[in-house]
Amino acid sequence: MSMIQSMKNAVRSRSIHVSYVNVGSCNGCDIEILAVLAPRYDIEQYGIYVHNNPREADILLITGAFTPQWEDKLESIWNKIPEPKAAIAIGNCPISGCVFNRRGSFVDPPVAKHIPIAAEVPGCPPRPTEILNAVLSLAPVVFKDYEEKKA
Amino acid sequence: MKKVVDVSLPIGPLHPCFKEPARIKCETRGEFVLSAEVELGYVKKGIERIMRGRPWQEVMFLAERICGICSVIHNMTFIETVEQLSDIAVPDRAALLRVVVNELDRIQSHVLANFSYCYTIEHETLAMYLLNLRETAMDMLELITGARVTCAYMIPGGVRFDLRPEDRQTLERSLTHIDTEIARFTAMFKNGPLIGLRSRGIGILTREAALEAHAVGPTARASGIAEDMRLRHPTYRKLGFEPVVYTEGDNYARIMVRFDEVRQSIRLIQTCLEMLPEGLIRGGGSVVAGEATYVGEAPRGELTYFVKTDDYGRIVDISVQTPSIMNIEACAHYMLTGVTSAADVTSTFISADPCVACTER
Repeated sequence: MSMIQSMKNAVRSRSIHVSYVNVGSCNGCDIEILAVLAPRYDIEQYGIYVHNNPREADILLITGAFTPQWEDKLESIWNKIPEPKAAIAIGNCPISGCVFNRRGSFVDPPVAKHIPIAAEVPGCPPRPTEILNAVLSLAPVVFKDYEEKKA
Repeated sequence: MKKVVDVSLPIGPLHPCFKEPARIKCETRGEFVLSAEVELGYVKKGIERIMRGRPWQEVMFLAERICGICSVIHNMTFIETVEQLSDIAVPDRAALLRVVVNELDRIQSHVLANFSYCYTIEHETLAMYLLNLRETAMDMLELITGARVTCAYMIPGGVRFDLRPEDRQTLERSLTHIDTEIARFTAMFKNGPLIGLRSRGIGILTREAALEAHAVGPTARASGIAEDMRLRHPTYRKLGFEPVVYTEGDNYARIMVRFDEVRQSIRLIQTCLEMLPEGLIRGGGSVVAGEATYVGEAPRGELTYFVKTDDYGRIVDISVQTPSIMNIEACAHYMLTGVTSAADVTSTFISADPCVACTER
């Protein structure tokens, strides 16, 4: 491993910026993501910062079944995130549409049809610890040795 | 000579301050906001369309998924509408347990709203204190109902789980903890000079404007309108409920109304626990054909359900009016007009506690 790669690995392991986007959720998963910020779960002790700004994000958390308004917007948000990046689907909605995926509704799940999803956390809503666990276990897989794996 | 240009300032749909997607379009002169418009429709799922033609047993779970923050009140209002149209009586113990869970939900919702406001005005210390306190209320919800967010605690004719004696002791201890902590945080909010600078006199909604815009809930009560649907609820009447009213109508008043309502909710739960009789938590009854309109008080204001059922307990027609749509419009047309700085646009919008998922369904 080159020296610059090991330096990048060290920096990236303690500096993960998270952004979240609600593409038609009921807010249940969003408030569980917010609860992760609370001192009880304390996401920042792992070096993860929730900024909700796609341009400086590494990981995008997606909640909600996919609504028509996000057809072009979600992809443009995804394109704004600099490499290396990963998207995590939080809750049942982005995976299957949950209770909203019925005849007559406007949703178009799964979100994986629209942007690549790296991990899925099922639950309606998942517990804050599960969300935290997903971010923590996905981060090393995506960010470690990113340049060497690409080359 | 310097030329003054009118600027159109779009905020959102994805913004660091917003929990949910909404777009505010502001017409500004410099930083002075001349007018604002809120564009919605990012989370429209068509829940009412899915609900039609389904049995109430399914609609009950869809109803609480209209909004994740105030899921208990959606469940409660839907179930009480169904009870009203089929004349189902509720045992006393169940009626009081409903109030306990509903007020716990109100506590967590109000604390979350105040967290969002403090986070938006960049007072992160108080925000984190509040978010940590909210976890105590969430624990109590989980203790009683078995779930943190989507509880489905109420069913026609009663509630699903009883309050065990040992859980009751834990609940009482937690309420005392929340009470002392909220008193401390209210004092921090009241006396913080920088918080006052960013909150007092900003985003004013006068009483006349609030009446004209049909503002509801804490937003209306902060503008001096003593209206609360809990005044018309039979169980709350027994508890001697009085609404909290502030008259300033600015961001500060709206947050203080929520702080005071949290403490009021704690008193209501304590009164409920004192009055709690022994007995059944579920009565009988089946859903019959009929139609009814019922109004409940959500954490954000009045929530109306219209339900029409057939003989088999299926929902023929349903329509829901949620409180946030009134407050979002009141916010766009009255509060945001005349805000002197673009930095106050987001905090004023958040102070009205908009719930976009409720609004669009």
